[in-house]
Amino acid sequence: MPLTDYLADRFGRKRIYRLGLWCTRAGLLVGLALGPSALAANAPQSGRSVANAFGDTHISAPPQRVVTLYQGATDSAVALGITPVGVVDSWLEKPMYRYLREALAGVEHVGLETQPNLEKVAWLAPDLIVATRFRHERVRPLLEQIASTVVTGTVFDFKASLTLMAQATGREARARALIRQWDDRVADFRRQIADTLGDDWPQKAAVVRFKSDHVRLYSTGFAGSILDELGYEQPGAVDDQGWGMKLTSEENIPVLNADVIFVLLEPDDPAIARNYRHWASHPLWQRLDAVQDDRVFEVDAVTWIMGGGILAANAMLDSLYVHYGLDNPNRLSMPTPAMRACDADITKVPKPRDEGAAAC
Amino acid sequence: MTRPLTLTPSIDATVAAGRARYTSLLGLLGLVLLSSMGLSLSLGSFPTSFPEILHALATPQDSDIAFIVWELRLPRLLLAVLVGAALAVAGAILQGMVRNPLASPDVIGITSGAALAAVTFLALFGTTLSIHWLPAAALIGALFAALLLFLLAWKGGVAPSRLVLVGIGLSAAMGALTTLLIVISDDAVAMTAYVWLTGSLYAAQWQDVLGMLPWVLVAVPLCLAYARHIDAMALGDAVAQGLGVNLLRSRLVMVACSVALAGAAVAFAGGLSFVGLIAPHIASRLVGRGFARLVPAAALVGALIVLYADLLGRVAFLPKDLPAGIFVSGVGAPFFVFLLHRTRH
Amino acid sequence: MLIGRFYRGLGLLLGLILVAAAFVASVILGTTEIAWPTFFEALTHYDPSRVAHIILFTERLPRAVIATLVGASLAIAGALMQTITGNPLASPSILGINAGAMFFVVIAVSLLPLHTPADYVWAALLGALVAACLVVLLSRGRHGELAPLRVVLAGVAVTAMFVSFSQGLLIIDRQSFESVLYWLAGSVSGRELSQVVPLLPLFGGALLLCALLVRHANALLLGDDIVKGLGMRVGTIKLLLGLVVILLAGSSVALAGMIGFVGLIVPHMAREIFGVDHRWLLPACALLGAGLLLLADVASRFLMAPQDVPVGVMTALIGTPFFIHLARRKPA
Repeated sequence: MPLTDYLADRFGRKRIYRLGLWCTRAGLLVGLALGPSALAANAPQSGRSVANAFGDTHISAPPQRVVTLYQGATDSAVALGITPVGVVDSWLEKPMYRYLREALAGVEHVGLETQPNLEKVAWLAPDLIVATRFRHERVRPLLEQIASTVVTGTVFDFKASLTLMAQATGREARARALIRQWDDRVADFRRQIADTLGDDWPQKAAVVRFKSDHVRLYSTGFAGSILDELGYEQPGAVDDQGWGMKLTSEENIPVLNADVIFVLLEPDDPAIARNYRHWASHPLWQRLDAVQDDRVFEVDAVTWIMGGGILAANAMLDSLYVHYGLDNPNRLSMPTPAMRACDADITKVPKPRDEGAAAC
Repeated sequence: MTRPLTLTPSIDATVAAGRARYTSLLGLLGLVLLSSMGLSLSLGSFPTSFPEILHALATPQDSDIAFIVWELRLPRLLLAVLVGAALAVAGAILQGMVRNPLASPDVIGITSGAALAAVTFLALFGTTLSIHWLPAAALIGALFAALLLFLLAWKGGVAPSRLVLVGIGLSAAMGALTTLLIVISDDAVAMTAYVWLTGSLYAAQWQDVLGMLPWVLVAVPLCLAYARHIDAMALGDAVAQGLGVNLLRSRLVMVACSVALAGAAVAFAGGLSFVGLIAPHIASRLVGRGFARLVPAAALVGALIVLYADLLGRVAFLPKDLPAGIFVSGVGAPFFVFLLHRTRH
Repeated sequence: MLIGRFYRGLGLLLGLILVAAAFVASVILGTTEIAWPTFFEALTHYDPSRVAHIILFTERLPRAVIATLVGASLAIAGALMQTITGNPLASPSILGINAGAMFFVVIAVSLLPLHTPADYVWAALLGALVAACLVVLLSRGRHGELAPLRVVLAGVAVTAMFVSFSQGLLIIDRQSFESVLYWLAGSVSGRELSQVVPLLPLFGGALLLCALLVRHANALLLGDDIVKGLGMRVGTIKLLLGLVVILLAGSSVALAGMIGFVGLIVPHMAREIFGVDHRWLLPACALLGAGLLLLADVASRFLMAPQDVPVGVMTALIGTPFFIHLARRKPA
């Protein structure tokens, strides 16, 4: 062809050949990068279809063996009365948060949330896997080959996690009841706090977490979204800051200024407590509005940030009731093992090598 | 007195003996690699025996463990082999060209460029774009870093020493930006980015293997074609030009090969470092410094290192699945130290 | 390049003035405005009830002091490292110092109950020493000499091992990851002068030893054979200089975390201006290193206020353009 001849004469055959190779490689790479999204078709079957972050997932029968790959899903499962057959490790209070430990006694762990062990997941022979987009998008094609997989978009939206889990397992009634209960509690809290604080409401709330060598101020996220729902306002410092900010220098304490400060601490770590005491004794700290009004409340980081599910949300709300000295009529009681065995439509399904079945 | 000089037969004999030794060494390495691949295929969290594995390979339709063998273990170990070979060859090229034993793709900034691009992607676009674009982003980062390196190091030509110096500077700057992004990100992004930086073959799938394969199949033969040029350049620029080597073109092509191999490897396996540095060293102590001999040996050594590192990550801390990058040094460094000891002079 | 005692002396004096100015700038500038009069008041009539005075003494002054000390030490250590190994790519991290410190700190944070920077200063120092000794042991030749190439290669191997084990621990234990992140990135904020005081003897001793060995360091530049011909023992000189490097770099890492750019690149910059004679080079490195770190610390307060950018990041961002410019100016 005249074009290739001209190019070959002008630039040299070897170069053209090499250019062709580069183009082929680039094309292959782009094609392979785009390819996977085209492979996500699901074959239509009988059963239900659950809409989730990657379109619809078909689930043929009510799942008995559930593997949860993130904390919010684990929390939601326990709230709905499901005992998963596999969960991922927690971030603090390893291997599982204390508030869930009893409910999850004897459940297998499948590794870290960031890199769940896929062979282990396959070995557990689940029929439903609940994952999250940010962490598990890459392994979704593999998960789909193991079992039907539903994926949430955001990690900290606990209502979405609960609803998704309920739709996938056929427990929508239970989920609706839980969310209704939550909404009632929120309405009650808003009424009580407006009555108690009067003109001082709404308050600006700062969610501050101490680590051993720095301090974090959160904007959105689990705690932030719940406080938002309850009517709190955000301090101006965290507008446009994404998830929040990290401070290392005590002269920046004025950034934390708000009407009420919720201090997230981790009881297992003495260095965090020490850092908190150090910052709290600085004169700039004494000048914060919240400190002067005596509205600095120390709360548990696990339920405020890490849990990510409706049980954690309810525990967070409980702590708010306590700190403001309000009446707490609608406490959610944590499902106990005995209660769960008799719960609506669950029977504990034995693992392949375990013949014992739990009776109601 | 007029006995003719008979040097030629003994030289021929020596050369032949050397060649035989080389091929047998290479064959041995190849055999070790194949058996290691077999070993890696049979180990994992799910207890499997070798006959079961063979059955799954031959007739996947009626094997229980076909998914684990074909979708989880096989692509992962193939990717490990390809990535290890690619990184080792990339390092061999650089060390041959720059003649500094510390030269490797990490040192001159290729890995740092890919890392910066990958962490930027995770921090800024992780929630909006699909993660399947991450390898492409990392690759683009590596190529950008190489381009920047060339632009900054160009001064009438590309002198290797200047290339390395500029590469170190760029690497430091890009590493600093990467650290900054990790420090200010939230925990989920920071941990994901850190795992990527460590280097991990987790969730390797067939599309990754097929994406990596072309780079290796094209770049490795290409650099072998230029092997003589590298040996000539080792004798000095003047000598090389005297031998008919086009310095600029050879350097460009070789660096391009190195960047392509290292960039592709890092794009699929994360910031796996150290392999590109020590695999060529280990190989050179086994087969000598001739480039044409070094490349296959380095490739095999690199493949073995990454293969075993990934195997350890999969089975040593059950049920956790740890990134291979953690064990690359654990596997490679002691062996390297052992070789250092054995060659004291 | 400055030639001659007069110009070099002038250069050093200029450097000293600049560093002093940077020091004062570091103390005065920040998110809280502190005016000149307040600064002088704090020095003369310290009043513990005034916030500005407290900030000056508890925040700004420690930062400035640590930045000066660490910057100077890292630069000197880097210059000596490059002389010992004869490799312009060498830096203290080659000896595995940074990696050893990192590993021991990570162990301290994740496995032992040592959590604050004040606590793990000693872990870091111990780690630096252990790693350096390991490297020296591994690179000894048959007759006990230390070939530069072997030192470098052994250092790389030890560094990689320690770094990867640390990475493993950090990935498994996210809590410790979050605790040491700032230290890993290099940070001079949040420290108190009381943390510096126990390390002062180490800094002082190392600098004294260095001053005594300056001429020997110069001799090393001529090559091992000439040094032996002059009647000096090469191995001992290298070992003692290595000790200086370990003490300076190890203490710096223990105090401020991993600030890796200064030791590699500042010596190159100093050599461009002052030449290779260690009598001028080492003071120049000290001034240049201190100045760079002080400047970086000031910039780090403003780049993303009110968040602090880790100072190790700033040194790289500031220093790289200079370094690349210098690298391009070198003849091929």
